Amino acid sequence: MSSAETDLYQELVLEHKRSPRNFGHLSAPTHQARGTNPSCGDDLSVELAVADGKLADIRFHGQGCAICMASASMMSEAVKGQEIAAAQKLQQHFRAVLTGEESADAAPLGKLVSLAGVSRYPSRIKCALLGWHALMHAIASNPAAPTVPVSTEGETPS
Amino acid sequence: MGDMLPARWLSASGAAPTGPSGVAGLRALFPVLSQHIQGHPLAYLDNAATTQMPQPVLDALQHFERHNRANIHRGVHALSQRATDAYDAARAQLKRFVGAGSEHELVFTSGTTESLNLVAHGLSAHAGGSKPLQPGDEIIVSGLEHHANLLPWQRAARESGALLRILLPDAQGHLRAEDLARLLTPRTRVFAVTACANATGERPPFAELLAMAHQAGALTVLDAAQVAAHAVPDISTLPCDFLVFSGHKMYGPMGTGALVGRREALELLAPFRVGGDMVEWVSFTDASYAALPARLEAGTPNVGGAIGMAAAAKFIDAVGRDAIDQHLHALRAQAVQGLSALPGLRVLSADTLDTAIVSFVTDGAHPHDVGTLLDGQGIAVRTGLHCAQPLLEHLGCGPTTRASFALYNTPEEVERLVAGVAKALELLR
Repeated sequence: MSSAETDLYQELVLEHKRSPRNFGHLSAPTHQARGTNPSCGDDLSVELAVADGKLADIRFHGQGCAICMASASMMSEAVKGQEIAAAQKLQQHFRAVLTGEESADAAPLGKLVSLAGVSRYPSRIKCALLGWHALMHAIASNPAAPTVPVSTEGETPS
Repeated sequence: MGDMLPARWLSASGAAPTGPSGVAGLRALFPVLSQHIQGHPLAYLDNAATTQMPQPVLDALQHFERHNRANIHRGVHALSQRATDAYDAARAQLKRFVGAGSEHELVFTSGTTESLNLVAHGLSAHAGGSKPLQPGDEIIVSGLEHHANLLPWQRAARESGALLRILLPDAQGHLRAEDLARLLTPRTRVFAVTACANATGERPPFAELLAMAHQAGALTVLDAAQVAAHAVPDISTLPCDFLVFSGHKMYGPMGTGALVGRREALELLAPFRVGGDMVEWVSFTDASYAALPARLEAGTPNVGGAIGMAAAAKFIDAVGRDAIDQHLHALRAQAVQGLSALPGLRVLSADTLDTAIVSFVTDGAHPHDVGTLLDGQGIAVRTGLHCAQPLLEHLGCGPTTRASFALYNTPEEVERLVAGVAKALELLR
């Protein structure tokens, strides 16, 4: 299983899967959203504490495959304390790398580069994007409105 | 096309053609199996989703397309007559395959999903007179079904005003006759059940359940998609009004399927599609429909597909249903034994016999990761919810990894599966 093992399941990815960072709930989230993938049962919720245009704090919870959990964990580390605009920009780069529109070497991904190999497994891209999908919907959410699950199902790499 | 099989596989002698040497010979008839995936020989264990096609079926398809391709029932020329004859012969062959008698008819469809939609829609829509399903009627669907045998009934219930009831399996995933007895009422109009659950491999006592529902006056629907390749039920011996299956799960072409039913029951169905070749008489404002089976087959059918599906049925019978069945059960038993020995792994419906499906969940390792790691070793399995989300949630287990066997699979492939799962678990945990 050398290729999947080296492309996808790098030690850093597995380490985040085993001990996801920022896993759990915020006591008073200002924004939140849930992402689901109906074909595989993955289900992640992201909670945010937004203040002054920054993601002051973030937690996520739910269940998913190793790729999904590691991506959400690394995402939470990368965006915590960042400006919303910076988080959105990172999401665009990450997505572009996974869908093959941007080279992993050129993109400012930090640790997230360890997930770049997902681009060679088209059926797994939606796993890596589920947490990000929920993050973007959380940012766009109206805190007063009830959360509606979002889904990456049917999303095709462009 | 069974005549294209080497004589030793013909089942007349009652031999076991799927023994070790027989399997090697059979594998050679499936061109797709000879390839390597990521440097490893392909072990194709996703047969519950789709089986591969043997050379006799490929030959039948090619023969039709190269020599006899023409539209049917319309032309007066030679090719049209040949295509019509081949299509009618395919229908007759498949009717024999499921034991259909003169009181039955077979309608070609695009697959199990279309067949079930045809029945559910046909019972909840106007068929000229009143709808067969009326407000207050009750539909019972088993909880083992994939979405194709649930969603059409959800919609039929909404559209007719009928009540949908679910025959839930017990904690072990088994359907129980006494539970059905409690659900049946004088208003039960339909009972739909699978012959084998695709998500768990469970084989419910469908003959007993169908008999109970029939006794209570319900129309009965049997989804035979998961058993068509090795243990298709004999409709002549079952109190079954509608039997459905797909070509692509029985070594036939994709996008093919059949709805077999008692003529009286099929007559109840409002056509799902109306148009060419399903009419008797048409004016600009009105039409009367043709008799079965044309009434339910509007438009140009998949003629080549029907011929390929019939060739697949002939292939199955040439190899021998009992021999295939024995081979699949042995592979499943081997897989259950090997997988169950792995720590933190649970096989669903482990005690169910007569199934070609082994579906399992693992602590600390998601099925998608297991599936990707197995693919890296050339082993194709299915992972996820298998279009049966309510069942898996009911059983409290979420997504699963599923291996499913066909007549060309070998004990060595099962060994590779077990070793591959063990290795994936070691990496992921």
